[in-house]
Amino acid sequence: MEALQAKARELLAAGTVKVVIGYGKGTGDTRRPIFVRAVERAGDLVVDAACTQNLATYLTKAEVRALGRMAIVALPSTLRSILQLAAEKQLREENVLALAVIDGGLRELATFDAIEEALATVPDALSDADQKLIDKLTAMSVTERRAFWAEELGRCVKCYACRSSCPMCYCERCTMDCNRPQWIPVASHAIGNLEYHMVRAMHLAGRCVECGTCGKACPVGIPVHLLTFFAEQSVRRQFGQKGGASAKLDYAMSTFKPDDKETFIR
Amino acid sequence: MSRIGVFICHCGENIAGTVDVAAVTQAALDMTGVVHAVDYKYMCSDPGQTMLKDAIVEKKLDGVVVAACSPRMHEPTFRRTAEEGGINPYQCEMANIREHCSWVHEKGTPTTAKAIDLVRFQVEKVKRNHPLVPIRVPVTKKALVLGGGIAGIQAALDIANTGSPVLLVEKSPSIGGHMSQLSETFPTLDCSQCILTPRMVEVARHPNITLYTYSELEKLDGFIGNFKATIRRKARKIDEKLCNGCGVCQQKCPVKKIPDEFNEGLSNRPAIFVPFPQAVPNKPVIDLANCTYFKNGKCKACEKLCPTKAIRLDQEDQIEVHDIGAVVLATGFKTMPVSNFSEYGYGKYKDVIDGMKFERLASASGPTGGAMKRPSDGKTPQHVVFIACAGSRDRLKGVPYCSKICCMYTAKHAMLYQHKVHGGQATVFYMDVRAAGKNYDEFVRRAVEEDGVKYVRGRVSRVYEDDGQLVVKGVDTLLGAEPVEIRADMVVLATAVQAQNDAEELAQRLHVSYDPYKFFAEAHPKLRPVETNTAGIFLAGTCQAPRDIPETVAQASGAAVKVAGLFSQPELTREPIIAVVDRQPPPVFSHCVGCFLCKSACPYQAIEEESIKNRNGDVLKVVAKVNPGLCQGCGTCVSTCRTKAIDLQGFSNEQVFAELMCI
Amino acid sequence: MVDPFEPKMTAFVCNWCTYAGADLTGTSRIKYQSNVRVIRLPCTGRIDFMMVLKAFSRGSDGVIISGCHPNDCHYTSGNYHARRRWMVFRDLLDFVGIDLRRVTFSWVSAAEGAKWAELVNEATNNVRALGPYKEIQQLAAVGID
Repeated sequence: MEALQAKARELLAAGTVKVVIGYGKGTGDTRRPIFVRAVERAGDLVVDAACTQNLATYLTKAEVRALGRMAIVALPSTLRSILQLAAEKQLREENVLALAVIDGGLRELATFDAIEEALATVPDALSDADQKLIDKLTAMSVTERRAFWAEELGRCVKCYACRSSCPMCYCERCTMDCNRPQWIPVASHAIGNLEYHMVRAMHLAGRCVECGTCGKACPVGIPVHLLTFFAEQSVRRQFGQKGGASAKLDYAMSTFKPDDKETFIR
Repeated sequence: MSRIGVFICHCGENIAGTVDVAAVTQAALDMTGVVHAVDYKYMCSDPGQTMLKDAIVEKKLDGVVVAACSPRMHEPTFRRTAEEGGINPYQCEMANIREHCSWVHEKGTPTTAKAIDLVRFQVEKVKRNHPLVPIRVPVTKKALVLGGGIAGIQAALDIANTGSPVLLVEKSPSIGGHMSQLSETFPTLDCSQCILTPRMVEVARHPNITLYTYSELEKLDGFIGNFKATIRRKARKIDEKLCNGCGVCQQKCPVKKIPDEFNEGLSNRPAIFVPFPQAVPNKPVIDLANCTYFKNGKCKACEKLCPTKAIRLDQEDQIEVHDIGAVVLATGFKTMPVSNFSEYGYGKYKDVIDGMKFERLASASGPTGGAMKRPSDGKTPQHVVFIACAGSRDRLKGVPYCSKICCMYTAKHAMLYQHKVHGGQATVFYMDVRAAGKNYDEFVRRAVEEDGVKYVRGRVSRVYEDDGQLVVKGVDTLLGAEPVEIRADMVVLATAVQAQNDAEELAQRLHVSYDPYKFFAEAHPKLRPVETNTAGIFLAGTCQAPRDIPETVAQASGAAVKVAGLFSQPELTREPIIAVVDRQPPPVFSHCVGCFLCKSACPYQAIEEESIKNRNGDVLKVVAKVNPGLCQGCGTCVSTCRTKAIDLQGFSNEQVFAELMCI
Repeated sequence: MVDPFEPKMTAFVCNWCTYAGADLTGTSRIKYQSNVRVIRLPCTGRIDFMMVLKAFSRGSDGVIISGCHPNDCHYTSGNYHARRRWMVFRDLLDFVGIDLRRVTFSWVSAAEGAKWAELVNEATNNVRALGPYKEIQQLAAVGID
C-alpha cells in the first residue's frame, strides 16, 4: 500500500500522469473508486483484499480522459480489460499507465506488451463460490434453471448498475436506449429483464474478462455475472478465443473457422 | 401518414384457386396506412402494370406492396413499374403468396389467413422503406493483368482489343509461362511454341498493352474501379533501349554452370541470360545471386564487350504506382516436386523425372534437340514407364483432387516417346484415364492402338535403381492385382498440379479468398467462375484450378469480357442495398463508438475508418464508414454491432422489427 | 368447443439459399403445414438474436432459422458468423431455462425444396407437441407488448 501511495505521489508530482484511478475507503468496510489528482491526496489510496471492483470502466469515461494521461490501480482482471479496450480501439497506449497489483506486489506497466507479459503468469479462474454456482446451475434441469432465473431476475429493477460498472459496456447509446426500434422493453418488465440480461451476456461473449464486477454492483444481489461468465466460457470452450487476451483484436464473434463444430444444425 | 397501395394478383388460378383473394383485399384495406387495395388476374401483364402506375398517380401512393409470386421472380419488374409510376423503386415490396402460400398449402381459412399475414408483414415493412438511389462509382479504364503465361496473354490481348489499356506484369524475364516449355500440345500435337510465340509477339507490339517483365506487384490498394497498384520493376542491369539482342554477353560470360530453369535443370546457362531464344522481350537479365561482379566485385566482361554499351551494372529497381480499374489474376501453377515421393526415390534418381522435364527432353529446342536421351548417361531409353496420378487423388500423402491434365499429357508423352524411339516400349501405370475434352478420348485411343503404348491399371509401389536401370514395382488390377515388375530405363512421373509457392501470400495481399490448396477461390463454383469475391479482381487459368490450355484460354477471354463490361460504362452502378453507419448532429456525430468489431466481420473489407474532425482539424471521433463501392449488403456487420449504429438499407432494423410486430 | 392448438411459427431465412429453396418447394407443389411466416433477410449473418427473442415475446411458439450450407454463402462468410452466434446463443438459452426444442436451425440450399417442406413440417409438429409457449407469453403479457 505504501508503495502504491509513494508511486502515486511520484507520478503526480512529476506530471507523468494527471490522475490516478484507484480505490479509497468507502462506508464501513467497503471500498470505492477515487480519482486522485493532487499529490497530497495520494494517501487516500488503499489496496487490500476488499478492493475487488474492476476500475477499468473509468478509462472510457470522457470526464476522466479529459484530465490527461491516466494511471490506474489494476487487478489482473483490470489489466485484461485494458487489453480488450485497446483491441477495440478505445484506449491508446500513451494514455494509460497500469499500476498492477499481482501476487501482492506492485508493478508499473506502461505498454500493452508489458501487460500481456505480466498476465502470462496469472491463471484465469473463477472464484470457488462462482464456479460452484455455475456447476450447480448446469447440473439442474431446464425447468429448474428457468425457475431459478425467473426468481432472480424478478427482482431486477433495471437500474443498469451492472451495465455502468462493466468496462466493456462503453457504448454511448446502449441498444437498450434505442427506441426506434425498441427491441427490449426497458421497464422492470418480466420478459424485458430476461431479454436485457441475455442480450448483455451475448454482447459480452468473447469480450468478458470475468471480473464479476457486474454481479457485485447489483443492488438486489442478482448473480448477473454468471450469465456473462457462462457466455464467455461458452466462447472459450467452443472457439478457443477469449476476452482480454491481447491488445490485438481477436474477437470470436466476428471471426470464424470453416470447420467450427456444432451438433444442432440440420 | 403513409399511403400504401396493395395489389393482389390472382396469377390466373395459381393463387386465386387456393387463396380467397377478395378476403385478402378487404383485409388489406383495413390495415393502417393502406389507402388502396385491389386484386387483378395478372399483375405482371401490361394491363396489370399500367393499373399499378395509374394507381400510384391517382391515389398519390408513396409505397406499394404487390402480393403475388416470389420477389426472386418479379421484384425487378415491379420496382421498374413503380419507378415509371413516379415513386422510388425501393418503395415497392412483394409479398410471396404463391410459392410460399397458394402452391404449398391446401385451400382453406388458414391459407387465406397466412396470405393476409404475409401481406401485413410487407405493408409494415414498406412503411419503413426509404427511397434509395443506386450507387455510382467512378471507374479507371485500365486493366492490370498479373502473370504472362497463356492465360495472362489471352486476357491482355482481349482487353486491349476492346480499346482499353492493359498493364501486363510478369515476374520472370519473359512472358510465355509453362506453355513455352512444352514441346507439343494435346490433342493436336501442335508445336507449343509455334502457336504461342505469335501471341507473345502480338502482346509486345500491341499499342494498348504495356509489358513489364521481370516485375512484381508489391501492393494493391483501393477498390473496384479505383485500385492503386504499386509495381516493382526489378533491375535487369540492361538498358533495354540500347540492347539489340546480339547475345555476345551470354557467350562471353565466364559463369556458365548455373542450372537452367527453363530447361528444368537439364542444361546450364550463364549468369547473364535470356531465358529461351524466343523470349519476349528478347533482352537479357543478370542473375545477381550468381554473377561474379555482384558476388565479389570482379569481372564486368559483359560491360566491356557489349557492342552497344547496354550494360548498366548500377541500375536500380524502379517502383511505379499505377491507377487501375480491374485486375486479372493469371499467375499459373507449379507441379509437385519429384523429391516429394519417397517411394520413387526422393528425387535422387536422375532418371526419375517429372512431366515438365520430359517436355524439355522431347522439345526440338531443348537441351537434347528433341532426342530421347536419359539424364543420367545420355543413353536412349528402351523402356520408359509413365506413372500417372503421382501425388494427385491421394488423401494421405498428396492432394485429394485430380490434376486434370496428366492423363492427357501422359498419353502425349508416351506417344512422343514411341515416335522418337521406334523400338522402345512405353508403359503407363494409371488409375483411370480422364480424357473428357473434344478429341481427347480419340487421342488416348491412338496412343494405345496406333503407337503401341501399354496401359496397366494399377499403382506403382516402389521405384529403385539397380545396375543402371530402374526397377518399377507395380500391380495390374485388371488381372486380379497381379504384381508387375518392369526394368525401365527412365520413369516419368505425372506429378500433381499445385498452386504457386507464393499464391497464399499474394492472395492475402490482394484480399482474395483461396481454398485449402491455395488455389484462388471463384465467387460461385457454378455461375461465377471468373470472378472472385473481391470486386474488380478476376481469375484466369490454372491459378484457380488445374486445367488445360483450351479451358485456360476460354476462361481468360471470359475474364476479359468481365473487365470489358466493367469498363463499358462511364460509372459502375450498384444496387443500394448496402450498410450505412449513422450520423447524428453534434456533439454525438454518430452512435458508432469506433470499436471496429464490424470491420473484422466484413467479408469484403468494405468498412473503413473515418475521422470526424472539427474546423481546426482536431480529430473528435474515429468511426466506421462503409465503402459503398465494396459493400455487398449481407448485414453481418449490423448484427455484430452492439449499439446498432450501422444498419442495412432495404433490410433495416426498423423494417425487420415492423415485420416481427405483425406476429 | 376449443379449437385445437395451432402453433405460430416464425422463420428467419436467407434470400439466396433457403428462400429460394422454399420457392422451389412451391414450384414443385410440395405441401407443408401453413403455420410458418417467413421473414426474408439477405443473409443469415443479418440475424440478430434480439430478433429471435422478439419473435418469441410477440407470441411465436417456435422459430426456424435457416440459411446456406457452410462454404456456399452468397456473401462468403455470413453463415459462418451466424453459426458462431447460434452456438453461443443456444448455450445461453439453455442456461437461462428456455426450451431449445422450440428453435430449429438448418442449412437449406436453393435446390432443397423437399428439405424445406420436411423441415417446416417437423418443426411445426415438434412445437405442436410442446404446446403453446406459455412461459414466455405469460412473461410478455405483463404490462407492455
